[in-house]
Amino acid sequence: MRALFAIFRKELSVYFTTPLAWVVLMVMAFFSAQFFTGALDTWRFVSLRAVQVQSAGTLERMNLTDLVVARLFGAVALFLVVTAPFLSMRLVAEEKRDRTFELLMTAPVRPAAIVLGKYLASLVVLAAALAVVGAYPLLLSRLAQGASGGPAVEWATVWSGLAGLFLLGAMALSVGLFFSAATDTPVVAALLALVVLLGLWTATQFTVGVEGPARDLAAALSASEHLGPFLQGRLVLSDVLYYLSFSVLGLWLADRAVEGHRWV
Amino acid sequence: MIEVRHLTKRYRDLTAVDDLSFTVGKGEIVGLLGPNGAGKSTTMRVLTGFLPATSGEVRVAGYDVFEQPLEVKRRVGYLPEAPPLYDSMTTGGYLRFVADLKGLSRARVAGEVERVSGLAGCGGVLGRVTGNLSRGYRQRVGIAQALLGDPEVLVLDEPTVGLDPLQIREVRALLRSLAGRHTVILSTHILPEAALTCGKVLVLSQGRLVDFDTLDGLVARHLPGRRVLLEDIAFLEEIYAKLVDAAPGGEG
Repeated sequence: MRALFAIFRKELSVYFTTPLAWVVLMVMAFFSAQFFTGALDTWRFVSLRAVQVQSAGTLERMNLTDLVVARLFGAVALFLVVTAPFLSMRLVAEEKRDRTFELLMTAPVRPAAIVLGKYLASLVVLAAALAVVGAYPLLLSRLAQGASGGPAVEWATVWSGLAGLFLLGAMALSVGLFFSAATDTPVVAALLALVVLLGLWTATQFTVGVEGPARDLAAALSASEHLGPFLQGRLVLSDVLYYLSFSVLGLWLADRAVEGHRWV
Repeated sequence: MIEVRHLTKRYRDLTAVDDLSFTVGKGEIVGLLGPNGAGKSTTMRVLTGFLPATSGEVRVAGYDVFEQPLEVKRRVGYLPEAPPLYDSMTTGGYLRFVADLKGLSRARVAGEVERVSGLAGCGGVLGRVTGNLSRGYRQRVGIAQALLGDPEVLVLDEPTVGLDPLQIREVRALLRSLAGRHTVILSTHILPEAALTCGKVLVLSQGRLVDFDTLDGLVARHLPGRRVLLEDIAFLEEIYAKLVDAAPGGEG
């Protein structure tokens, strides 16, 4: 346990004393700002149209949370899928490249402690990135008002959206961690993880013209399909389990990969 | 303390270590001597549990390295060929991290870090980021981390590489002071080092054991009639030390 926390602290200190995590946070801030202002522009356009066309009830039914925040979160989700491999690529592969892996593997530390300590540190960076994204609903709630003068933002939906993003990010990071443990070069680890994650994200694209079990399987595997309910404010057990199982699978495989160095 | 029986390590088409057997008793200092590629580092990596053997048995401090790796790792301080430093950490932070990895109790950590950095001669750079250290200092930090926790067995892969002659003398004195209470196995391809530091020398070539004996025994067997005086080797160091100390602004 001590070793696990030691590795967690060390990994966290490396993340925040070297550029990588800061660059990711910066890029996250930049792109979420772009998505946010884009979604706000769409909102403005739609509300102006609704006023011009004078369709009854449209303005009342328009919802900042669904139209702006959910849109933002959806865009951030893809962004997470693409950047997580670059956050996790260095976790094990860099140790091998820098010859510090020998230190970890000859210390009285279980492979599981190494894997978990590193994983937890990457989760903290993920949480920081999501805190940046969470600033936008916060802004809205300070500066805007709801349809009948109520709160501008449905916080329950926002929290479930953030929870979904966190679970998605956790899954992506664990896949990245596995590839980092399985390869010697950080960049190769990132690219392999990217291919797998994008494949999972777009799984339903592969079965567009197909009906039946194949379609269902693709939907069940698709990382994007499972995020939907979270963005609508629904916490569905099967979706939570999807992300958790993939995360656990990634971690288990990473543990096997690290342990495997003892046998080969 | 260290028992190696018929150790073989094969890669796909290369046999790095071939049927190696030897024993190192408690408190001995043994030198692994051999040219580059002889299998010294590979043997040490198997001893410390980093690499698995292809066949054979390795026991350290009574525990089998493959069956009970954690027990072995608890009792071994290891310096790999390249000192395993994290370039973005400070020396002190790094040593504290390794102390945690080795499971030293909270209360002991600060004292241990001070002790080993004093022994290894890196006490002055505890606040500096290891990425900025010179080769000699990096090596000394590497030695310090191996000493953390006062392990029963020390496995040191070329501990004096990158050090200047005065620093080598300090490390040699340190290692000799550790013998008795600790079992030390170190590798080198500089014979004078092996001769001056170690009690016994194990000579490896192309993965095979050539001989394993004290220096006098080796000389008697392979160069009978010749006499080797360790003073002759040490004398070169004396001259160097005098020259360097006498020079203006020389190393102190």
